[in-house]
This record gives sequence, C-alpha cells and structure tokens, in this order.
Amino acid sequence: MVALIRRRFFGTKISPNSHRHKLQWRVKQVTKSNFSDSLQEFKSHLSASDFVAVSLQNTGSFSAPWNRVSSFDSPETAYLKVRRAAERFQLLQFAICPFTISGSKVTAHPYNFHLFPRDELNIGMPSYSFSCQTSYLTAMARQGFDFNACIYDGISYLSRAQELAAKVRMANPISLNHVVEASSSPPTVADTVFVERVKSRIKHWKKSCTDSTSKKIDDALVKSLQKLVLGGEQYGSRPCMTIDVCSERQVQLVSEMLREFFDDLVALKIPTKGGGTQAVRVVLTSSKEDKSLLERELQNAEEEQNKKMRGFREVIELVSASQKPVVSHNTLNDFSVIHSKFIAPLPLDVNEFLNSLQSIFPHIFDVNHMMKGIGPLENVTSIPAAVSYLKNRFFAPIEMELSQGALLDESKIHGQTVVRICYLFAKLCSVLKITPGSIQSSDGKVLDGYANAFRSCSGNSEESLDGGIRIWTNSPRKVDCKDLVFLWGFRNRLSAGMLKSLLQGSHDVFSEEFDVCLVDKSCAILVFFHPNLSQAFLDVMNSVEISGSLRELVSEGLRAADYDTYKRACSLGLWETDLASSLDKASATPDRLSQSDPETKPAEIYWCNDLIINLDDL
Amino acid sequence: MNTTRHWPKRAFILSRALSRAFSDTPSPTFPLKHVTRSNFDSALVELRSHVRAADFVAIDMEMTGVTSAPWRESFEFDRFDIRYLKVKDSAEKFAVLQFGVCPFRWDSLKQSFIAHPHNFFVFARQEIPLDRTSYEFLCQTTSMDFLAKYQFDFNACIHEGISYLSRGQEDEARKRLISPKGDQLMHPSYNLRETTDLSLVRVADVLFTERMKKRLGEWRDDLLQNRVGGPQEEKVPDDLNQQFRTVFFKMRPALSLDGFTSHQLSLIRMVTRKHFKDLTYVCFNGESTSEELVVYTDSESDKARLMEEVKNDHQRRAEMKINAAVGFRHVIDLLSSENKLIVGHNCILDIAHVHSKFLAPLPSTAEEFVSCVNKYFPSIIDTKILLNADYTLQRKMKRSSTSLSSAFSLLCPEIAHGFTHNVLSYEPCVKVEVHVDEMRSSNWNSGAKHEAGYDAFMTGCVFAQACSHLGIDFQLHSPSENLTQNEKLQKHMNLLYLSWINGDIIDLRTGNRSAELSGSNMIRKPYRKILFKNIVLLWGFPSKLKPSMIRDCICKTLGPTSVISTYCIDQTAVFVQFSKAELVSDFLNLKETLEQSNDAISHLHPLSQLLEGGNTRAASYETYKEICASPISKVLFADQAEAVGIKWKTELLPSDKEESHDNTRSHLESAMDSPQAVEKSKTRNTEDVVNDSSNKRFCDDIIDSFLKVEKIRRTTNL
Repeated sequence: MVALIRRRFFGTKISPNSHRHKLQWRVKQVTKSNFSDSLQEFKSHLSASDFVAVSLQNTGSFSAPWNRVSSFDSPETAYLKVRRAAERFQLLQFAICPFTISGSKVTAHPYNFHLFPRDELNIGMPSYSFSCQTSYLTAMARQGFDFNACIYDGISYLSRAQELAAKVRMANPISLNHVVEASSSPPTVADTVFVERVKSRIKHWKKSCTDSTSKKIDDALVKSLQKLVLGGEQYGSRPCMTIDVCSERQVQLVSEMLREFFDDLVALKIPTKGGGTQAVRVVLTSSKEDKSLLERELQNAEEEQNKKMRGFREVIELVSASQKPVVSHNTLNDFSVIHSKFIAPLPLDVNEFLNSLQSIFPHIFDVNHMMKGIGPLENVTSIPAAVSYLKNRFFAPIEMELSQGALLDESKIHGQTVVRICYLFAKLCSVLKITPGSIQSSDGKVLDGYANAFRSCSGNSEESLDGGIRIWTNSPRKVDCKDLVFLWGFRNRLSAGMLKSLLQGSHDVFSEEFDVCLVDKSCAILVFFHPNLSQAFLDVMNSVEISGSLRELVSEGLRAADYDTYKRACSLGLWETDLASSLDKASATPDRLSQSDPETKPAEIYWCNDLIINLDDL
Repeated sequence: MNTTRHWPKRAFILSRALSRAFSDTPSPTFPLKHVTRSNFDSALVELRSHVRAADFVAIDMEMTGVTSAPWRESFEFDRFDIRYLKVKDSAEKFAVLQFGVCPFRWDSLKQSFIAHPHNFFVFARQEIPLDRTSYEFLCQTTSMDFLAKYQFDFNACIHEGISYLSRGQEDEARKRLISPKGDQLMHPSYNLRETTDLSLVRVADVLFTERMKKRLGEWRDDLLQNRVGGPQEEKVPDDLNQQFRTVFFKMRPALSLDGFTSHQLSLIRMVTRKHFKDLTYVCFNGESTSEELVVYTDSESDKARLMEEVKNDHQRRAEMKINAAVGFRHVIDLLSSENKLIVGHNCILDIAHVHSKFLAPLPSTAEEFVSCVNKYFPSIIDTKILLNADYTLQRKMKRSSTSLSSAFSLLCPEIAHGFTHNVLSYEPCVKVEVHVDEMRSSNWNSGAKHEAGYDAFMTGCVFAQACSHLGIDFQLHSPSENLTQNEKLQKHMNLLYLSWINGDIIDLRTGNRSAELSGSNMIRKPYRKILFKNIVLLWGFPSKLKPSMIRDCICKTLGPTSVISTYCIDQTAVFVQFSKAELVSDFLNLKETLEQSNDAISHLHPLSQLLEGGNTRAASYETYKEICASPISKVLFADQAEAVGIKWKTELLPSDKEESHDNTRSHLESAMDSPQAVEKSKTRNTEDVVNDSSNKRFCDDIIDSFLKVEKIRRTTNL
C-alpha cells in the first residue's frame, strides 16, 4: 500500500514538466567583451528593420504591495509609482530586437545586452547604489540567469544628463570651434583692453615660437628658460599657451579674436571642475595640414571619450535616431526605466515625462494596449496568455525567421521575451488587419489609435466590445475618483466582505450601492456608485455628530481620506510599507497640491468588483 | 544548472603558486568549506561539534555594500550617536552575502590550533509566506564591483545561498501557525469558500456538478461492492478516468483528482460535502506539489479521525517548513548558545548585521544596541582594538596599518607566506592546522582573500598570535579553561570601534564610550576636540562655492576668527565650526534676517554670495542627526534633507530675540567694509560713504567694471 502511494507521488512530480515544450529562440548575448562588434551588427540590422521590440529585466518593481500600479490608480499616481520603481531598481538586461513584418513572415534580430552600472570613470555614476527584490532575483535564478556574467562583464552606461555632468566633472579640454557663437553685445572698453592685451601676447608668443624653431635651438637650458619667460607649454609635441579667462564672455572674445587673425592656431577650452571655463589653451600648429591633423586628433579623442561614457546608451541613441517605432509589452514601466537610466531623471509630472519621451521615441506601441482592441482582456497581461488567446480565436499564422537561427541552446535562452513580443505584435497586426507597410508610409497614422497609448490602469480605451467575448462576469464600471474613499485603521485581517457588512448599517450613506475592496492588509478602498455620497461620508467622519456603529468604528481607530490624499501620498514620496501609514502621513501634511493646481481634472478609473492584483509580473 | 563556480579554480591556482614559491615540501592545498543550501544540514551538524569544542570562533562577512549614500560615510565630524546611526543604516539596508565562521580549538597533543574555516553563502529568500516583510536589499555598485574583482561567486549566492528567518520572523510564522486564521491558511480544506456555497449560475457548472455527483456515487458504490465481493478487474480507463485514480490515503481508499481547474475543484468539494456523508474532501500538501483527494471514511468518527490526522500532518509539515526556513540563523543561535568567545576584525558593522538580520530590528540608540548584543554574545573581541591597544603588539606590527591582511602577513608570516622559518622573530609562531572535511594541512593557505570564510580564518590566526604575544601560553592552559576568563584579555574584551576614523570605542558591557586607550596607535593624528554645539550645517548653497569660500564669506561677516574649521559633507553640504557657541545662533538669525528683507543692503551683504539661488539652508547639529536617522537615502545631502521633509530655510535656535536682532544689526554694519557694500549703499546712506573717504575718488564706471571683474574672478576661480 505504501509503495502504491509512493509511486503515486513520484508520478505527480514529473507531470508538471511534461507539457513544457516551449520553442526556444537563439538570442545574441552581448557583454562588455563583444559589445563594440555587436553594436556594428545591431546598427545594420536596425537600419534594415521596420520596428524595434524591447523587453527589460529589472531587479525589482515594488517595495510594498500597494506600491504596484493597480486598477484604482489614475495616470498620475500610476506614473508616480512607476517612477519610484525606475529610480530604485536596476536594469540588468536589455533585450532589443529590430524586426520586419512582411505578410505573415517576421524577420527578427534579437539581442540581449547584459548591463551593470559599473562606475567605469570613477565619478560615482551611473548609480551609487540600487535596490534588489529577492523574489525577482530568485525568479531570474530559476531561469538560469548568470549573475556573475552580469556583474563581471555587464556593459555600463551613462544617461544623457549624466554624460553632461561627467564632462563637467572630468574637465577635459573641449575644442573651441564647436562652442563659439556670435557675440551678442557690443564690446565695452574693458573688453577691448582685454582683447588687445591677449592679442599682443599671442603675437609675441607665436613669433618667438616660430623664431626659435627656425633658429633650431637645441640647448635644453635655453629652451626651458624660454618656456619660463614666455609662459609657453607643450601640448603633445606642439607648443601651446594658456590664456586665463574670467568669464564666458572673455572666452567668446578670445575665440573671436583667434578666428579673425590666425589660421594655424587651435584653441581649446579648459573647463573648471565646476562647469565654468578656467582658461583657453592655444596650440600652435606648423601648417594647415598639421592643423587639420590636430583637429582630427582632438575630435577622435573626444569621440572615443564619448563612446566610453555612453556605453550601452549608444544602442538607445541609435534607436532614437532611427525614429523607428518601438514595441513593448508594458510601456509605462519600460519607458520610465529607459528614461531614467539613459535620458535624464524622471520629472515629477506625468505630462512632462510623456513630452520628453515623445521627443526621443516618437512612435511607441504597447502590445498590451493593442490586445484591448481585440477584447476586454484586461486580465490577459502575460505574453504567453495573450499568444494562446489569439491562437485559440484567430487564424493568423506567423512565421518567425531569426538571424541567429532557432536552435535550442541552453546558454542563449535569455531575452526570449523580446522575440515573443515581436511575434505577438505581428499576430496582432494581422488580426487587427493592419498592414505594417502602411505604418511606414503614412507615418504611423494607421496605428495611431494604438501608438503612444500608455497602459495605465485608468485605461482610456473606449473600444466597443464587439467580436470579443466577455471573460468577466463582473464588467468594469467607470468610476470617478471623487467617489473613492480610502479607509484604514480597522481591525487587522478584516476581509473586504466583513468590512462591507460592518459599514452597511452604520450610516445612511451606505444605504445606496457601494463597494469595498482591500488595497493591502492595512487599507481598504470604498467606492460609492452614487455621486456626492463620498463627500457626505467624509464630512460625517469629521463631524462631532457622528453616532451609532460608525462612531464605534471611528473610536476604534477607523480613518478615511479622499483620493487627493492618496495622490498626495504618492507625490510626496511617502512610500511606507503599509498604505495606512502613508495616508496617515499624507493627511497630516497640508494640502499643497490642490492649491498649486486649481484645475483638478476629474479623473476616472475603471472599477471591477474583482480587483485582481496581477501576480504574474515575473 | 548554469552555476559557474569560481572558487576551486582560484584557490587552487593561487595556493599552488604560493606553495611552490615558498615551501620545499608541497603542502596539501584545498579550498575552504563552502556551505550552500545543498550541504547546509550536514555542515551544520559538523559545525555544532566544532563550535562546542572550540576555544574561540572567528567570524567575518561580505555584504552587498557599506554606505547607502556618500554622505553616510564615516566623518570626523560625526558625533557618537551619529556614528551609530550610520552603522545602523548600513546594516539595515544591505544584505549579507557570505558569512565566514571559523572555530579554533587548541590541541595540546599537536601543540597547535585546529581551525575549521566555513564559508556560508547566505541569501534571504521568502520561503514561507509572511506579509509585511519586503525582502528587498540595497547594493552599492562599487562594493559589488569590488567583490567581482575578487571573483566573488554571485551565482552560488543567489542560486544556492542559504535563507534565514530572524527571531521575529520565526515567532510571527509560529504565531500564524497556531492562530485559527493561520490554521485556515495552512489547511485549505477549511477554506472560507467552503462555508459559503457556490451559487450555480452557469449551466456548465450545474451540469458539471451533476456529473461529479454521479461519478463520486458510482465510485463509492463500486468501492462498497468490492469490499463485499473482493477484488475485481478494473475497468478500462478512458480519458476521464485519468482524472480520477483510486489510491490509498492514510489507509483509506481515496480518489485522487487530477487535471481539474481550481473552480472545478471547489465544485467537487461542494458536491462531496453536500451529498456524501461518507466521503471527505482533503487537500494534501506534499513536498512541492499539493494533491486533491476525495477519501472514503467508514463512519463519522472515522471521518473526524481522518480530519485530525490531516490536520496534524499539516501542522507537522508547517512546523518543519518553519524550522527549515530558519536556515542560516541556526548558526547564529549556535554561536550564541555555546557562549564562545567571538573574534572579529573591526567588527561593529558585522555585529550590527547579525543583530538586524537574525535577532531583531536595530534599536534607535547605541546603548540599547550594545546591551542587546551583550545579552546574546557575552564575549566579543575585536582584533583591531587588540592590535591598537597594546604596545608590544604595536611594536610587532612595526606600526604599520592594522588592516586585516597586513596584520595577518606581519603577525602570521608562516601561514600567510608559507615561510617555515622566520629569522626575525625570536618566539615561534602559533601553529594553526586547518581541517576541511577529511583534509588536513598545517600550512594551509587558500589565498582567497575577501572570501568571508578565509577572512574569518585570518582573523582567528591574528588573534591567536596576538594572544601569544600578550603572554597567553596556550600550552599551559587546560582545555577546560576558558579564554573569556583570561585576565590578560579582560581589558580588551567587549570593546568595539564605533568608528575607526577617530577612535571612538564603545564598551558592550556598559554602553560607555571612550576615546582610544593610551598607548594607542601612534600614526593617528592627535584627537581634535570638536564642539558640536558650535557647529552649523549648511546645504543647498550655490554649487560653485567651495568650503574655503564659504569660510571667507562667513569670516567677512562674523569676524576673521569666527570660523575654526569647515568640513565638506559632500558637494552640496558643509559643516562650519564656529569659535563660540553664540555665533551659531548669531549666524542663523542673520541668515534669516537677510532672507526676510529684500532691500539692496541684503543683496550686497557678504553673506549674499552664500545665499545666492535662494536654496541655502542652515541648521544646528541636531538637524544633522535627524537627517541621518531617516531611512531615506538620497545620493546628495541636499536632496536627502528635502526628502526628509525639511521645508524651512533656517532653523532658528530658541534664544532671546531682542538681543539677536541687535547682533544682526551690528554685523550688518561691520560688513560695510567690503567694497560692494560701501559702493552701493552710497545712494541709500550718504553718511557711510562720506566717512569712508578712501572710496570717494572712484567714479561709478570704474567701480562698476571693477566689481564685475571682482565678481567674475570670485565665481570662476578656485
């Protein structure tokens, strides 16, 4: 008998693995060692492709349950949550795949870049520290992620903003030719005096240099004496002179003066560590050819330096410059990370972020959002689920052709998601009867409905539900944020149902239809389906006339706040472990937001009775 | 598995090279004992006996980082309580990746120490569901890079690291286990869903329920028949029968349900409960899978018995799971319960990590921390204290750095370099024999620096050698005699550097703090007395201002001797130490006044340079403490202060308002010496200019350009 049971157990252990026959695509893995070669290859693949799919692997996404974007978030709060995650966690893998769709054939070139924010230049950038969520790391480990490869050989990078700061910090000389613009104001007396003095110094120095070279003084002592007297130095093998300047104005004067009179001098700006200009260094070249040689040298050196600083960002710059449409699965998350790591720190305001992003990536497609065009599939959030949903309902065969071949190779499996996104996108295009060719020709007009629609849970989709099947027994209802009230301070481990029944008889406001749902174990959200009741309820909570069982609840610690308090908690960065303590703190701070922003737009969210928190983020 | 293991290769190559270079007889070299999830249980059993027999246990650890922001580094200007706050912040934010434990036992027969270096890979995973705990940790990029340089195996750590529960977490898990609600969680057959009948709204559900009722009934009837009529040939299993398989559960016939959705399962559960008195629905959680069963029971009492058995099973399983989840903390509990002497090197941070990860959240003050540590680990010795406190050891160390590796190579050259003879030292070195599993070596060197297990071994060797230099003769000691009672060690016992930077020492027994003992390290600069009440904290000033310029700026206002020193916290913040405590409130009041008034004179005041941009904040030293105590860590101090929620510009100290106002006036007047102030104030107050005759001859134009140049020079230079 025992044996029978044993065998039985043994049998169940194997069964879950038996149906896991997923197609594995080979993805090119890129680390520090093969980065520059792969970059060239990527460049040519990119220019030959119509779209670029991206997929990111981060070290985490939220610190507390309520920190994740959920269905009661307005675009503002959703952005603030995503912003916090982007700033806090680190990006370790960036899978990117230029692809082309022609008919039912997709040609894709997947790359998976391993990143690590190593401080290559010793300037505390790109990141001093980052957070890791254990569950993310263990999930990555389960997929066979090689942390050693990532930390030892990951490619570093600097964002655009960081590159500027780094240049200032490193104070490398900058060729003056790039930075000169016409003088704006007429020269003052002091300016003229300054220019004349510098001009005569340069003339004198130049003369002595050319004289000495003609005379060919070999005596080292004489040479060094000359150097002392003239203040001349060497720049490489060429003589040079440093002119101290006190302002950008003087830099301008010097550069103008140099342009007017000399064609064998190259001027370099020597910046201070703080960002100003300390001096202008003038290098004397022997001939026109020598001058252009030096200029080329300087340019090459600068480019080399820039390349080193940008690191992986070069890939982002290439994609941005190509203006190709970018496809992603969760655009708000992905692009907030991209913006914060490779462009600049994320602004506080969501619109500012969207504007900034628009200028860098003009066309962004969210496959998740496109799925909504097919049916109200708000719960089909994972890519495999979406793929199987489409497979079951539509006939849209897609043939994948990969540059690396479709071989199963254990070490090359990372970054599969990006290929799946290509696949899903192609399938969606086919189902939605969008010919990808038209996207290019008409500048994305066809897909306009889907482009740049950020999937925050407020979901601005008004699509009709025709053709789709209602999966939800409880369809989402549109709810004004004003009708939401946050409740906390109730007994621990109270379920939403228990809380609802507690509230039901406690006051008149609960005689109309309302609903309760738990946000985390400390806080619940209360929705009134009739207008103005929320305000009435909040007024009751604050009045002295409170009575009955509601009074009892309040005496036990029940507290309530409106949606603005929640917004304030997010924008003030009060990311406590429990939403209750965040709301406590937010209600304690004076309402600065509504004063500064009088036109509070009526925000709406979709309310579905099954507020299911999506757990398959991993 | 993809895990690449670097350790054996590295250790092997290094030690091979070393042994070839320094010793004639090739010594057996082998890596230290690496412990991961897979060999933890057996290693723990061994370690128990080693620790029990040990004279002392050396520890060391590797973390994911040390400081969460540049300004959280240790400063000279940190007061005692601030130092603790910085240690606390570090221990709370970063994770321990490796924990080295090395028990040392004196073997009187071999006249040598026996060391068992263990290197535990630690990684806190969420193994049992506990809410509230976020399981998040910080990594400092430079620390990770540093570990990578020493070929640290992150894969071994994350894939195979041993998890743990702190005492608090374990208590919570046990509480959930015994509470009725926790019972429900652990025991899904009592699920809430059961109490509320599912309403059969969909036709499919109704049909499915009917079918299940029929099937279960058939199965039960078959069973009863078989029981009467003996074993019978089984029917040919069709597709549906795959989902129902007859098995035995707790000596009872049962139907195993396979391949149903959770909704279907709850329908089956409902059917079972509603229609079959002699069938029981049971959810049985195996090692990794859970199984749904419908079990046949003879009678009500049999049913109750079954439920009891299942419940006990769950209980036991949960109990075992918690015990397993405690994981690496068993090692800490072992060290604590055996009351052995713990040896570390500069180990306040290590001890703080142990406290916060395994014992309890760190208390807010150093005194509480110390008393708690002392309770769990009554005797701790810091080799860094030992080396710096004793004169003979200082001489031995030739006054070089007391870092672990340099102490090891100076004090234990035989082990560090494999020298078998040492001409310079008169007394022989303390011998240390290393045992790892079956392997033994008397001149072992794995060479794996910054591997916690090896660092612990080095610490132990340094301690043993230092003891011998202090005149502790191990040969005279009987094994029963305890090192913790040794009088020569007493004066160094339980002292830790709260901060090495300026030799602040804390006594774990009393919580008293003291400056470094006499006869201490000579290389150290003489201790500068810092008066914290004389300090003003400044931040948010224009980025071009350097500390020296800030100093000049203030000296121009409050007098040339007003500022004793300035200290840079980071590029956005600075400490200014005044010569007198009154100057602190004077300065703060003056700043406030200048910011309130918006007239020309305040613009031309020498301090205006400091206040340019309107974001300059100033506060007393207490605000610094408040900022350090915050759990937030922004990279720049100015951002941190903002994130902490400081909205005011100047923190005014409670003082007599009348008097301070007078002071402000007089300072404003004394500031008239600077040329700008004189020049512009002429239009407002002609008297001043008349008094200052030296300025009369300047025509406005010249002054203008002079001022311009002056200002430009000041802003661009330096």
